[in-house]
Amino acid sequence: MLFHPDLLEIPADGSPPYLKGYRCRACGQLDFPKLTPCPNCWGEEFEVVPLSRTGKLYAATDIFIGQGGMKPPYSFGYVDLPENLRIFSQLEGEIGSFHCDDVVELTVGTIRIDSDGTPIISYKFEKVSG
Amino acid sequence: MKPQRDVYIAGVGETKFGKQRLEFDALGRIAALAALKSSNIDRPDIIESAYVGNATNGLVTGQTVLKDLGMCGHMPIINVESACSAGGMAVHLAVREVACGLSEVSLAIGCENHSLHMQSGTAFAPAMTDIETMHGAVMTGKYALRAQRYMYETGAKPEDLALITVKNRRHATNNPYAWFKGEISVEEVVNSRMVASPLTLQQCCGVADGAGAVVVCSERMVRKLGVDKPIGVAATVVRSGPYHNRPRDITGDDITEACAQQLYEQAGIGPDEVDIIELHDAFTISELLYYECLGLCGKGEGLRYLHDGNATHGGKCVISPRGGMLSYGHPIGASGAAQIAACVKQMRNECPGYQVDPAPRIAMTHVTGGGLSGTEHAACTMHMLVRP
Ligand SMILES: [Zn+2]
Repeated sequence: MLFHPDLLEIPADGSPPYLKGYRCRACGQLDFPKLTPCPNCWGEEFEVVPLSRTGKLYAATDIFIGQGGMKPPYSFGYVDLPENLRIFSQLEGEIGSFHCDDVVELTVGTIRIDSDGTPIISYKFEKVSG
Repeated sequence: MKPQRDVYIAGVGETKFGKQRLEFDALGRIAALAALKSSNIDRPDIIESAYVGNATNGLVTGQTVLKDLGMCGHMPIINVESACSAGGMAVHLAVREVACGLSEVSLAIGCENHSLHMQSGTAFAPAMTDIETMHGAVMTGKYALRAQRYMYETGAKPEDLALITVKNRRHATNNPYAWFKGEISVEEVVNSRMVASPLTLQQCCGVADGAGAVVVCSERMVRKLGVDKPIGVAATVVRSGPYHNRPRDITGDDITEACAQQLYEQAGIGPDEVDIIELHDAFTISELLYYECLGLCGKGEGLRYLHDGNATHGGKCVISPRGGMLSYGHPIGASGAAQIAACVKQMRNECPGYQVDPAPRIAMTHVTGGGLSGTEHAACTMHMLVRP
C-alpha cells in the first residue's frame, strides 16, 4: 500500500518513479511535501513538478533502537535535491555504508509494516552504484 | 519577555529522577509541596493560579496533580503541552501571569511518568501524523544526524562527544536527585550499546520519570511571605521553531540561536556574564552544539571550549552543574521546570556535595521541545535568573 499519493508517483508505463514537488501557481514557491495552503501567499492552486531523482546525502545515521513496530537496524538521512529542497528519507543499502555528501538516487520500497501486517510503500534513497 | 514588574522565584522543588513507581500526579505533588514549603506557603488558597506542564500522561493533568493539595476550585489551572519544553513553558507562563499583575503568586509544575506507560526497547518519535515519523524518524536519530554532520565538518570524534557524558555524570556525583552519576570513562561511553550512530546508549538521556516545581511571585508577596533568598527572573523567552523544507545547517540550531539572542537583549546580560547553565543535553552532541548556539564560544569552537575546561567547575561557566539530562534522564514534560529548580538551589547555596563555588549569581536555562518535520525543534524556552 502506497503511504501517500501526494508524495510519490510510480508511473504505470514503467518509467522511473519521482517525488512530486508542488509549485504555487500564485507565487511560484516550490515545496515538498505539499503544504496547504502555500505558506508564503496562502495560494491554494499548485502545479505538480517532478523532482530530481538524484541528490546529495547531507547526513545519515543507522538506527539500532527504533520506533515501536519497526525492526532495527535501519538507516535514514537528509537528502538535498538540486531544487533547494531537503528530503528526510529512509536509506536502502548496507548498514554503515552511508556517509555525508554521498550521491544518492530515488528508489521505492517498504518503509514500515502496518499494524495489520500490510507493507507500507514509499520513497527511499540508495547510493548511486559505481 | 522582559517582565513588566519585578518577578521573583520564592521557592522550588524537585523529585528524585529515574524509574518511578509513582504516577505523574504524585510526582508533581511531591515537587509542588517542596516548592510551596520552601516559599513559606502553608495553605492552598495563597496560590492564585497554576500552570502544569506534561506531555504524554493524558488530559487535565494539572487538576489531577492539584486536587489533593486543595487547589482546585478557587483558581485557574492551565495545562501546558509542548513536548520537552512543557515544564519550562509552564514556568514562563507563571512568570507572565505575575509580571502582568494577574496573580501575585503562581505555581508552575512540570511532571511526567514515562516508564509506567511506555513499551521498553523503543525510542521516542514525533507524532504519527508527521511525515518524518512515518518514514522511521526517532529523536535519537535526528540528533545523530546533527552529530554525523558536526563530526564530518569539524573532525570531532565519538570520543570527543563522550567527554560531555563524563563531565555531566561527574558533576552529578553527589546529587541525590540525579539518576546516573559518578565516574564513567570515555571508553565505557563509546563502547556502550549503539543506539543511533554515532550516539551510544551512554550518550543519550535515560527515559526517566520525575517532576520539578517553581513558585513565582511579586515583590510584595516576597516580603509578605518572608522569603529570605528570592531569585529574580531577569527575562524569559518562548519561541516556536521556524519551518523550512530546504537545505540548512543543522550543526547550528536556528530556534536556540534566536531564543538566546532575545533573552540576552531582554535581560541586558551577555553570555560571558552567566555563571551556570542547565541546557537541553538530551544527547552529548546537543550540549556541544549549544555552546556555540548560545554564544559561549564561536561557531566551530565548541570542542575547544570543552577541552579547555571552560564548561566545568573552575571554568568560564559551569554547564549542567546538576548533571544535566544525561544524569537526570529526561521526563519530557518535567525537565524544563526541574532545570530551573536546580539552578535556584545552586544560587541559594543549597547543593551540598555538588555546589558551584562561589554560589552563582546569574543562571540560564534552555529547553527545546518537539520533533516536528521541517523544524529543528517545535519550541524553545529559556530563562535568565539573577540573585539580587
Ligand atoms: Zn504561494
